[in-house]
Amino acid sequence: MSTLQDFAGYKPTWCPGCGNWGIGVALRMAFVEMGMSPSSVMISFGIGCSGNMNDFINAYGMHGLHGRAIATAVGMKLANHTMPVCAVVGDGDCYGEGGNHFLHACRGNHDIKVIIHDNRVYGLTTGQVAPTAEKGQKSKSTPSGIIEVPVDPIALAITQGATFVAQTFAGDTKHMAETIKKAFEHTGFAIVNVLQPCVTFDKKSTYQYYMKHVYKLDTSYNPGDKIAALEKAFEVAQEKYPLGVIYQSSRKAYHEEAVANVNTSLIAQPRFQDFDILAEEFV
Amino acid sequence: MQYTWKIGGEAGFGIMTTGLLFSKIATRRGYNIFDFVEYPSLIRGGHNAYEVTISDDTVSSLKKEIDVLVCLNKETFDTHKNRCAPKAKIIFDPEVFTPEGDIIPIPVTFTAILKELQGQVIMKNIIALGSSLAIMGADLIEMNSLLATQFGRKGEAIILLNQQFAQKGFDVVLSTSQEHISPMLTKKESPKKMVVTGNEAFAYGAVAADCRFYSAYPMTPSSGVLTSVAAWGKKTGMVVRHAEDEIAVINSALGASFAGVRSSVGTSGGGFALMVEALSMSGITELPIVVFISQRPGPATGMPTWTEQAELLFAIHGGHGEFPKIVLAPGDHQEMVELTLQAFDLADIYQLPVIVMSDMLLSESHRSIPYDEIQAKIKKYIPNRGKLVSSADESYKRYLMTDDGVSPRLVPGGVKTFYQANSYEHLEDGHTTESDVERIKQVDKRARKIKTYLSNHFIIPTTIGDIQKAQTVFVGWGSTKGVANEAVKKAKEMRKDVAYIHFSYLYPLDKNKIKTLFSDSSKQYILVENNSEGQLGKLLQMEVGISFENKILRYDGRPLAVEQFIEKI
Repeated sequence: MSTLQDFAGYKPTWCPGCGNWGIGVALRMAFVEMGMSPSSVMISFGIGCSGNMNDFINAYGMHGLHGRAIATAVGMKLANHTMPVCAVVGDGDCYGEGGNHFLHACRGNHDIKVIIHDNRVYGLTTGQVAPTAEKGQKSKSTPSGIIEVPVDPIALAITQGATFVAQTFAGDTKHMAETIKKAFEHTGFAIVNVLQPCVTFDKKSTYQYYMKHVYKLDTSYNPGDKIAALEKAFEVAQEKYPLGVIYQSSRKAYHEEAVANVNTSLIAQPRFQDFDILAEEFV
Repeated sequence: MQYTWKIGGEAGFGIMTTGLLFSKIATRRGYNIFDFVEYPSLIRGGHNAYEVTISDDTVSSLKKEIDVLVCLNKETFDTHKNRCAPKAKIIFDPEVFTPEGDIIPIPVTFTAILKELQGQVIMKNIIALGSSLAIMGADLIEMNSLLATQFGRKGEAIILLNQQFAQKGFDVVLSTSQEHISPMLTKKESPKKMVVTGNEAFAYGAVAADCRFYSAYPMTPSSGVLTSVAAWGKKTGMVVRHAEDEIAVINSALGASFAGVRSSVGTSGGGFALMVEALSMSGITELPIVVFISQRPGPATGMPTWTEQAELLFAIHGGHGEFPKIVLAPGDHQEMVELTLQAFDLADIYQLPVIVMSDMLLSESHRSIPYDEIQAKIKKYIPNRGKLVSSADESYKRYLMTDDGVSPRLVPGGVKTFYQANSYEHLEDGHTTESDVERIKQVDKRARKIKTYLSNHFIIPTTIGDIQKAQTVFVGWGSTKGVANEAVKKAKEMRKDVAYIHFSYLYPLDKNKIKTLFSDSSKQYILVENNSEGQLGKLLQMEVGISFENKILRYDGRPLAVEQFIEKI
């Protein structure tokens, strides 16, 4: 049985008070509670403050390229679908640079769990706006305010075919851990959008702001209702942020259709050696 | 003896299938073939042509003159009549046009046959094949058997219908052009052969090398690899994924490689341009990957369906930062199978990207290669996965310092330990570092892999012809080998001593070993490349310090021709 300590890597270099601390703890809590060990999970990290978690958590990890963590995770899962695969990414990573991969991973229903650190800014490059920044937000790259309207990650994921779409808040470690666990229990493409204050570069979306505007979905809410889920997603326009599983449905995961013998991982399958049957096509 | 048969017609009417059928028939009748397809970047409309050179000896390039030209429309004759040999046989439909000149007209009543048997326009191809076989002195045995295989799933009636059209085309020639029949395709005893394109050769090699993950985004002229491995997927178990873009292609392949399976991607220059950031990641994370590049004329969209060798320096320099990679360029179809097996081994042994270069000419032309020899090689082959391990203890360090530069690579999932493959500079255990000392250690470790490769696996260029006697020595790489081979043969017929130095192992190069190949100052070394800048020449200048005064460079999108060599002798 693993402990929180088993998953603890180097001491984090995140700013004091940064939401990443809580997300890191919640992820480790979820792993421990699910009975996983650092040897039993693969994590694909993007680039940014979130991706820097690679050094702070113990697992089979790949700290890849900015925007590409989902693509990398897709390959990991297909090569060995018997191991859980998770992608730890930021908002710029996932919705900006990697937007195309996000879109298509939703369609493919790849069985990977994407933990998105949505803090509305690019922290590591000193505070430029992210694709989730509110229209008009000023930053070093947008001194007159950002012209674009924000990406709506929840609505985007639901409409593009993701089968598990959840939102949680970096100020509530317990809720985060519970939500992450539910994502891992789901088979298929699961996103957990974590609303996370950047204490250094964003003076608006603070802990106080979110505590005032988030609310938890209660048991009367049915995440199987796609239209209701979209309505929840659209509440962002009224600065209301539902927390919990907003949408969930069931569809075969990509590897269940792509791997020839789904009972065995691709890496463990016997080598194909019936070369003659292919060669005869060329005679 | 060598003969060239060519068929032309409107795009979208089955010219390609027909050409391949002819190549297979000729091969089954005991001949060697080399073929080439000309097509515009269109699906319908425009002019398509397919030519096959058959030989009782080896053949690795096209012949200048056409001996039998099948004109499914008038444009075919107008476009290709200048290449017709004197007294070339021209198969045409007298209802459409009448060819003129120093040719032998072979009228075939396509329109009337279609009407009589109530066939679709596409059946013209089958009639044309029947007529071609008749005029070349063959029978229909191989054709009928190939039609039976090709249409097997559509049922006996469809097979018979096709065979009927073939017979009609055959009979028309027998009854109206009997005096022009010549024995070009007389049945010969010969070992069994496979007819493959360069793309199929790579795909077949990848399967044989136990590649289990192939990802690509379709791009001419590399798409044939994707099509082949995808079609075989159910049998081979390879996961073949047509991803959303080339960036996803290579990043997912690296994810699969990290998880422990042999992975590969394929593209052309434009797609490779999107992949280079991840190629650089393969370098620093030390993850094996095989990248197949089939070149076409650039820059940008260029001429998608034509040929060029203008991405050698791009491939060699692709990727930011300094990291080792290996670049190989097979010279022909058989070498494509062999070097593909080798590429997967080298990627695993040295834990780095290996690039296999092709071009439209090699990728899409067919050649007959010996069946038994290839099968024997493949069956003997056992993947060499280098220092891949499936278990380790707590002291495991992914980027451990070693003399040869290669560290043991643990397949994720091994209990008791874990590690990260890190695109940041890292410590021996994989954690991120900005330490000056550790940085130098890791850069030097990665660079040591090149030294190890040069002493253990690098192979010097091969030579064709008698290099001692030759006064003129051509120098080239990749698909140029085919035409150079024919040029050396032709020169020999002309009693001229020429030779050709062929580079398959293009990068990195062993400076000293290469230098000695060019040490005889009495010889004239001529660089031959299918590009405008002489990229191999630049590479040799940079890496070895030799330069070429004399060059044959072709960059009109067409393959190099034997005549271009002969002019220089």
